[in-house]
Amino acid sequence: MIGTNPSSNVRTVSVLVVPFVLMFGIYVAAHGHYGPGGGFAGGVIAAVAVVVVRMIVPRTLSERFFPPSLALWLMIIGVGLYVGIALASLFLGGNLLDYDELPLPGDPAQQRYYGILLVEFGVLLGVCGAMVYIFDLLADVLSSSTGDVPQQPLSTSGDSSPASDAEASR
Amino acid sequence: MSWAFDLILLALLVASAVVALRVRQLVATVAVLAVYSLLSALLFANMGAVDVAYVEAVLGSALSGVLMLVAVLITDNVRTSRSSRAQWFAIPVVTAVVVLLMIGTSGLPDRGDPNAPAMEGVAADYVERSLADTDTPNPVTSILADYRGTDTMGETAVVFTAALAVGLILRRGLRQATTP
Repeated sequence: MIGTNPSSNVRTVSVLVVPFVLMFGIYVAAHGHYGPGGGFAGGVIAAVAVVVVRMIVPRTLSERFFPPSLALWLMIIGVGLYVGIALASLFLGGNLLDYDELPLPGDPAQQRYYGILLVEFGVLLGVCGAMVYIFDLLADVLSSSTGDVPQQPLSTSGDSSPASDAEASR
Repeated sequence: MSWAFDLILLALLVASAVVALRVRQLVATVAVLAVYSLLSALLFANMGAVDVAYVEAVLGSALSGVLMLVAVLITDNVRTSRSSRAQWFAIPVVTAVVVLLMIGTSGLPDRGDPNAPAMEGVAADYVERSLADTDTPNPVTSILADYRGTDTMGETAVVFTAALAVGLILRRGLRQATTP
């Protein structure tokens, strides 16, 4: 299932849709001030975009799009951004997560607005990284339990025809 | 009109739960559980909890379905049948819990009741002051990320820790598989 080629239709449509799904994830996280959504939903949507690429494109290509080590780094950066903002406002003289102590532009209400935006962005990165990290782990276990080397593209597909293999390796 | 929609959704929800329990192929169970999540997302949206519905639709019916699908592919696809004695024991327990829950929920205040105990504390204050305090029209976001920001920090840490725990468990299995 991981990195196999369903058909050229599925592949083409998915690859066309993926940038928009990523964009929508960031939009949902950034638009949380005005509508439903927020960092958590946005992060999951962004992770879905990466997972779709992982599922339809050969392993080597999808790892160039989103390296497996990047997932762990996104988790660390996201949580670090949130905790860093919390501690920064604490050490700048306010309470924990007191955004109007931070060096952000505008009056206190606008400072809180930007503080919320930064924190939501941290949640977006953290959740996206965590979800892709879990998927990568499961995919590794799947490819090792079927007796294939994880690094080789298309090795998990037992039923794909030689023609589609040759087409995908290009 | 809204209660009729709620009733249809509830019936479909119960039907999909029963189907998910009865189906023998685990891949089909995953698909039916995704439908279950989507139906409950519709139910949440109908109740006005759009943010919750959003996360339920995205996480419950899309991503966790994919994760469960990969997990099913790792194991066997067909479920093994369990002993029927446990089922006979489970039926009265589940019935008792359902009856207790129905008795308990009959005492709860109505949804959206302004005189409910949950609305008498700071909740109304948050809704009124969200725009002036944080420039944010959506009070859900300002409560989650500002008034109750520490909770959200803890939740993010929980997601982080959960992913690390999955990594620690699965990486060990991977190392054992590669070095027999």
